[in-house]
Amino acid sequence: MLDARRTRPVLIALLVVAVALITIDFRDGGTSGAHSVGGRMFGPVEHVAGDVTGWFRGGGSSAEVSALQKQNTALQLELGQAKVSAQEAAELGSLLKLSGSDHYKVVAASVIAAGGDYSDTVTISAGSSDGVAANETVLNGDGLVGTVVATTPTTATVQLATDAGATVGIRMAGDGQIGALTGTANDFSGTAPLKLTLFNADATLKPGQELVTFGSVGGRPYVPGIPIGRITKVTTQPGSLTPTALVTPFADFTGLGVLGVVVSK
Amino acid sequence: MSRAVILGRPVNGQFASEPSAWRKALVVAALPVALFAAVVVQLTVVNRLPLPGGTAPDLVLLLVTAVAVSTGPMTGLLTGFAGGLALDVAPPATHYAGEYALIFCLAGYFAARIAAASAATTGERNPWVELGAMAAATAAGEAGKAGLGLLLSDPDVTHPAIRHVLPGAIAWDLLLTPIAFFLVAWVAGLARPVAERAPRPEFVGAQRLAAAFRLASAGAAPNLKLAGTGAKFTDDRPARRVPKLRLADARSRSLVRTDLAGSGAARPAGAVGRTAKLNFAHSASALRTAAGPALRGRTPRLNFLHSGTALRSASGVGHLGGTPKLNFAGKSAALTPPRTQKSPGKGWIRAGDHPGIAPHRGQRGPGKGWIRAGDHPGIAPSRGQRGPGKGWIRSRGRSAGVGGKAFGTGAGSGLVVAGRRPPKSGWLRTDAHRPPAPANRARPGKGWLRKSKRPRANWYSSGPSTRWVRRSRSKDRWRIRRRSLSGALLPGVRDLRPSGDRR
Repeated sequence: MLDARRTRPVLIALLVVAVALITIDFRDGGTSGAHSVGGRMFGPVEHVAGDVTGWFRGGGSSAEVSALQKQNTALQLELGQAKVSAQEAAELGSLLKLSGSDHYKVVAASVIAAGGDYSDTVTISAGSSDGVAANETVLNGDGLVGTVVATTPTTATVQLATDAGATVGIRMAGDGQIGALTGTANDFSGTAPLKLTLFNADATLKPGQELVTFGSVGGRPYVPGIPIGRITKVTTQPGSLTPTALVTPFADFTGLGVLGVVVSK
Repeated sequence: MSRAVILGRPVNGQFASEPSAWRKALVVAALPVALFAAVVVQLTVVNRLPLPGGTAPDLVLLLVTAVAVSTGPMTGLLTGFAGGLALDVAPPATHYAGEYALIFCLAGYFAARIAAASAATTGERNPWVELGAMAAATAAGEAGKAGLGLLLSDPDVTHPAIRHVLPGAIAWDLLLTPIAFFLVAWVAGLARPVAERAPRPEFVGAQRLAAAFRLASAGAAPNLKLAGTGAKFTDDRPARRVPKLRLADARSRSLVRTDLAGSGAARPAGAVGRTAKLNFAHSASALRTAAGPALRGRTPRLNFLHSGTALRSASGVGHLGGTPKLNFAGKSAALTPPRTQKSPGKGWIRAGDHPGIAPHRGQRGPGKGWIRAGDHPGIAPSRGQRGPGKGWIRSRGRSAGVGGKAFGTGAGSGLVVAGRRPPKSGWLRTDAHRPPAPANRARPGKGWLRKSKRPRANWYSSGPSTRWVRRSRSKDRWRIRRRSLSGALLPGVRDLRPSGDRR
């Protein structure tokens, strides 16, 4: 068949190109130049499309402004809580030599795009031109949302806390036990909660306990004291070394609208 | 001009089959635009919709497969690669660049290949086949995305995630497959020639002849004519049922294969059923027709023989039809009476040389001696048939049946009867000294035509002559070697071995 004779070399060439792209990206850990090129190409378009869809979602600009104001107040409150939590964490922070814990600024941005079925990632409308850089904490009025993993001049990609690749260091609000919180993948629908693993084998977990972020050195990728969620079910197995539980996040990951990125001054 | 184009069919020149150039250019330019729009809409709208199931359809994959089946493999694979790569590098994506490009490229290519193969086989585009190919490619693409992510140990693609996502994603895709297909097919149809309804079949050889027959008869058999005879072969009475004509060339294995006249084996025509089939062979050009079912069909009065074509006809002789009048003009004729046929009178057919006779199930045995084959009748009665009268078939030549054990006592007759009463003794007389059927023949024992010992594979055993053999120290071994050499070099021994795969 003439057509097959002509198309087969093209097919093989394109498959080789695809495999080469995968190999290069695999070597670079998913941050090869292809992503930045794609971000520059699709970022502005998604920006426009996100504005259009946001207009539809918000039902107009006035509703959008009111929503923004509401979010702003919530963020202010949230930041205050975070500061209080940071005060509580001051003792630990001094031990961990956390620096500049009170020099945070929040950049507001809206979600303009979302990832596919397997990855819990969103694109927000603020990029490196707004001061957003990778490994910065993203939160909304309810609590922690995720962290920035990649930026373009106009957009940034946020890995949600529910992503299977995300791990957040946490501190129990009451007794200060520390642990790790991992996403369970594909709970963009909000059904699957997060998985909590405490480091202290003797600690006891009760449903209803609240979690805040433990904080990282320099506030990256997570600033301390951001509320995350509440324990809904304790899944500690008898005989296991570490207590485990399922955590329902405060933030509604299905209806993410306006987010704030904590940028360091 | 514009008004005509808006209406979708150009007025100037109603036989102009080509659409206007700018319309074609518009459709071609619409493809990348649509692809880009699909990527953006997928990322900004579809992925954010809180759809039931927690998953979302993949618009880009749907567009790729729909374009592929509507156009061709080249367009399919290029579209797939471009769309997949766009999904790989557009901002929220965190998987490795190139994953979706690989999967979508393969999905588009194979969807188009399936559709193109179907179109090449049947001669026309079948939208249902294209829809099926598109659905299969879409589902395979979704599975491929998961599989490749698993292969690359993507932290997001885990087994529980796949179990949760994949069924929902495939269900959403299949739900949207018809919509995407008809949209894309409509747009692609704008760029195609207007005379899309009856494409000129590009058949080769006898297939073109078959297409001409089908075209001339509009799918109906009774008016089938062969050129050059000038005679009217149709029955004057209107046919009740139009038998289907199916075309098969030499490569097609979908139809019931019948053997050539000279092979001496006739197959049971039970699988032929009620539809007559025309086989237009490539070189032998043996035209066989089995006309009509027994109860409803008409009996063609005449059969025709073109120059160099051997025609076989088996006519339905039922309650409505009378005794067929068959003219076996050639030396080769195979008779295939349909089921529930009453046996005709004694001696109603006397074939010349090679009649292949295959009575059917439920058929009563005809009277004694109603067929006397001359040399090579191939006889294969079906199961459930009562044994005919004594001596109703006397075969003298080589008769072979299909499969199964040969009945009979010691003579090893070639008749194949499954689940049937043994016939009365002597109702079939075959040659006593006919060699048994090859399938049931025992392999020859050791030393029949084979050497009892294989020649040794020495350095000299493959030499061209015995001059290579050096004298050994022992005279006894020398003699043994010489004997084995002569056996190994005996010409034609290899060909006489009943190994079966002789070439």
